[in-house]
Amino acid sequence: MDRRPSEGRGGSIYDLGYRGYEGPRLGRRAAIWALLAHSVRTAYGIGRNARSKVMPVGLAVLAVLPSMLALGILMLVTTLNAPAEVVEAFSPVAYSTIFPFIAILVFLFCASQAPELFGRDQQMGVLPLYFSRAIGRLDYAAARFLGLFASLLVLVLVPYLLLLVGRVLVAPDLFEGLAEELPSAPAALAVALMTAAVVGTLSSAVASLTPRRSYATVAIIAVFLVPNIVASSLVALETGLVGQIAAVLSPPDVLDGVNAYLFDARPDNITVLRAGIDGWVYVVAAFAWIAGSLAVLARRYRSMVV
Amino acid sequence: MIARAPIVAVTLRGLLDRKRFWLMVALAAVPVLLMAMAVAFSDQPVEPEDFDTAVISLVLPLIALVFGTSAIGSELDEGTIVYLLTKPVRRLRIVLAKVLVAAALTAALVVPATLLTGLVATLGGSDVLAAGAAYALATALGGTAYVVIFLAVSTFTRWALAVGLVYVLLWEGILADLLPGTGQFSVRQATLGVARELADEPIPSGAIGLEQGLISLAIFIIGGIAIATWRMSRYQVRGGD
Amino acid sequence: MSEQRHSSTITVEHASRWYGDVVAVNDISFTVDGGVTGLLGPNGAGKTTLLHMIAGLMAPSAGSIRIDDHATWRRPPVYRRVGLVPERESVYPYLSGREFVRLNAELHHLPDAVAATGRAIDMVDLADAAERKVGTYSKGMRQRIKVAAALVHDPPVLVLDEPFNGMDPRQRLHMFGLLRQMAAEGRTILLSSHILEEVERIADSVLVIYAGRLAAAGDFRSIRRLMTDRPHTFLLRSSDDRRLGSMLLTEGCVFGIELDGAGLRVRTSDYGEFTRRMPSVVRDAGIRLFELRPTDDSLESVFGYLVGR
Repeated sequence: MDRRPSEGRGGSIYDLGYRGYEGPRLGRRAAIWALLAHSVRTAYGIGRNARSKVMPVGLAVLAVLPSMLALGILMLVTTLNAPAEVVEAFSPVAYSTIFPFIAILVFLFCASQAPELFGRDQQMGVLPLYFSRAIGRLDYAAARFLGLFASLLVLVLVPYLLLLVGRVLVAPDLFEGLAEELPSAPAALAVALMTAAVVGTLSSAVASLTPRRSYATVAIIAVFLVPNIVASSLVALETGLVGQIAAVLSPPDVLDGVNAYLFDARPDNITVLRAGIDGWVYVVAAFAWIAGSLAVLARRYRSMVV
Repeated sequence: MIARAPIVAVTLRGLLDRKRFWLMVALAAVPVLLMAMAVAFSDQPVEPEDFDTAVISLVLPLIALVFGTSAIGSELDEGTIVYLLTKPVRRLRIVLAKVLVAAALTAALVVPATLLTGLVATLGGSDVLAAGAAYALATALGGTAYVVIFLAVSTFTRWALAVGLVYVLLWEGILADLLPGTGQFSVRQATLGVARELADEPIPSGAIGLEQGLISLAIFIIGGIAIATWRMSRYQVRGGD
Repeated sequence: MSEQRHSSTITVEHASRWYGDVVAVNDISFTVDGGVTGLLGPNGAGKTTLLHMIAGLMAPSAGSIRIDDHATWRRPPVYRRVGLVPERESVYPYLSGREFVRLNAELHHLPDAVAATGRAIDMVDLADAAERKVGTYSKGMRQRIKVAAALVHDPPVLVLDEPFNGMDPRQRLHMFGLLRQMAAEGRTILLSSHILEEVERIADSVLVIYAGRLAAAGDFRSIRRLMTDRPHTFLLRSSDDRRLGSMLLTEGCVFGIELDGAGLRVRTSDYGEFTRRMPSVVRDAGIRLFELRPTDDSLESVFGYLVGR
């Protein structure tokens, strides 16, 4: 190590032993993964102050409440050794019925956390720092969205899982219980994934459009609420095809339709009930919403001026 | 610029200047389009209650929320409020100017929207023209009340938009319907009360009428302006130090 | 606008300001009375808080702040006497420069707002760009339009918070000239900076603020002299540095010498004593002295010493 100063006229430079880094670099995949993990932590307020945990943790707790409630009632009824039909009648919460409640919580979660995930970097002007690293523009958008999606999956799957496990345990025979509950599992999984995907992509797309987080929150709420009201009005007025188009253009109604279709149950949502659309149309519409939102998100980050 | 009203002018320029304004126009167009489609594709006659759903419960509060919180909130956030506060200008004058602009813009969007909605419905055969005018007048007053409330809230917190949203969705959307007798504390109910009586509709039992509605709105407006003025006269501008 | 006037006085008496547990300004007292005064301190020292209290934007938590014996908080007449150039960059981006200055003029109820606007804009040399929207201005231009807005009502007191931020050397020189001219007209000017070189060049006197406390006040050279407990360093060049060095070492006030290529560096603990003794030593030794230079007499070293304390 050469520590002699290099002398010049009126100045010297000292060798302090500074070295560049020549070692291995983890590369793009690791960068994306790191950002994804960071997004999940941001979404749940982990590593941040208490105020940023209130909304996400509060919503997560609320999400498991109906399942716990249902399990409580079920356990009560089975310890009294009632026949299966009575048990079923007494459990107000089935997989398909907890859906509207879960959906609202997912929506509130996104309205609160998506602006935080997408708006904060824009507002602070740190995007040039990201884009001058291994992570590309679309990689960034994908990592952020997948982080939100993963957070939503946790929020959504835990209630369904709790319900399933609880019902199996409460059944008189373990294997019989499993045999009864497992057929519902794929549908529950599909509904959970679909809800997280539709709400997540749409919220991400809207949140990415503005750095100001409060505007993004209002916009996300408006994007869900306004079409919903429009659709319910049009369907209530029995406008036929127009009402059906409005229902398909309204994300909450689309999700309700998907839920009803996959569980083959009667829809709780009046609009969906009266619109008279075949169930599979809702599924197609859900995929269309997902694709459209992702396209908006991609375009926004590709063309963003940083 | 309007010579004698510089605060009005600068607030107006601020609220008009971005794509936010055009989004509000789009929002205001929603009830009109809704009515057009209902008229075109449905056989059912349009009742005045439909004005409630379409306009008063959603579009009016959202537009008032955006204008009301931005009128003074954006200046507080950006720090440009300094240029208004370091002048020999009464704080009341600042608050009044901003309320005026935000309320006027809200009314400028919502009143024509309501009138147009009524017009479209009338063209479709329903006799709601008079009701439309009554609702339009009521929304002008209700909009002012909303704007004042949201403006006052924005002098207390940066998250006025979220607080306002919670107020509109939770309190006015759900609770006030469930709890009878709380009509006086809800801008929506007050607006509806005024509108219904002006439109010669029957008032549902438990809901409030014209007099109570006007009194409620007046209290909201005067009280809100007083609170905002009090808050601004104590507002201290911190530095980034 | 160039007649002499009686200068306004800013009086700060035991002023403190705290936000919850954080004390931003801690028992500061001083009086400013005409001329250009520099408020010097690192970021976070409390400069902006102090300036905002003087401009009437904040109330002191304790103590009093007065301009010409009027308390500054919540007194609209005070606003007529003070022009504030805030640190924050944001101005209304959708207004043109002229419209922005005119807004300030109209809010001050000036009888001829248009003429005052024109004068203010000419003073800061922005007449060419006055019609463009402020959102398109460079940082230095935005600083200058803020100065114009602060000057438009011809205030006797001008308070500037980090005014040279973002200015290029030519603009800075122009601003120096402007501030000096206004001080000559009798205005009281108080400006803050954390850049020592600027304050050194323009301020008649200096207030050094650190962690909310007033560390020093007055002409910076005399502040320096007051701190005799700190070593002063001089650089000497003579006809016989080595012999001079060994002779100086025997003096009580000298505690260190260093011979290097540039000359003889002498470190002394007593400035006054050294300056009295040194000529005698040189003469008695028969040595010719070519150069005597203090090497740490700048504001930089004053400041560095205070901060390091």
